[in-house]
Amino acid sequence: MSLDLQRILAGKRALRRELAALPVAEKLRLLDDLRERELTLRRSARPPTSNVAREQPARYPAKGT
Amino acid sequence: MKIKEVIAVVNLMQADGVIECYAIGGAVGATFYLEPVATLDVDIFVSFRTEPGKLVVDPRNILDYLTSHGHSLKGEYVVIADWPVQFLPPTSPLVEEALREAVTVDVEGQPARVFTAEHLAAIALQTGRAKDKARLLQFVQAGALDAMRFEVILTRHNLLDRWRKFERQFLSGTP
Repeated sequence: MSLDLQRILAGKRALRRELAALPVAEKLRLLDDLRERELTLRRSARPPTSNVAREQPARYPAKGT
Repeated sequence: MKIKEVIAVVNLMQADGVIECYAIGGAVGATFYLEPVATLDVDIFVSFRTEPGKLVVDPRNILDYLTSHGHSLKGEYVVIADWPVQFLPPTSPLVEEALREAVTVDVEGQPARVFTAEHLAAIALQTGRAKDKARLLQFVQAGALDAMRFEVILTRHNLLDRWRKFERQFLSGTP
């Protein structure tokens, strides 16, 4: 382990490359796990207040625009 | 694997003639090329069988089929194997092309039709939310795009200016 930021960033990039190189089926299994984890976190989080800034849902452009 | 069940159901819908063809998009589609990133839903782009003289896409066939096969509706989603799945019509020439040119990938013996990496990246550029830009950056940094193919798509769909802006904003100095 190192506190050298460049090495930390390189390590992160290497981990991402390893994950991307996994077989597709394995990656899809990880998606299942990630979703479960995300839902657990959301369930344990405080309910949002109305004045929280939010991302807008996707607006796929209409034909011809 | 639950997502595999979703893919199985969509393949069955195609075999039963409910949809003409489909392709997986969004974060799940991107996972075929990149590292997995948490997502809460599955985007399935489908071409619908339209009745002659009808211009408006009617998703009722899909919803009727899925509910008759025991899947429930939740708002805009159909819940399949615990995953909220959204069936989306192609809403732009770019997405129409992506659907036509999608590739079939084997997932443990099961075919899954998914947008190409270049089309996923172009759609992310066109959609343009923060998370779409982050995904596009992932594609570039992972070296997952065929530069020639990507540029041809961007040119055909008038996205080159937007790409140049993205490059200036996010890719100058990227290792």
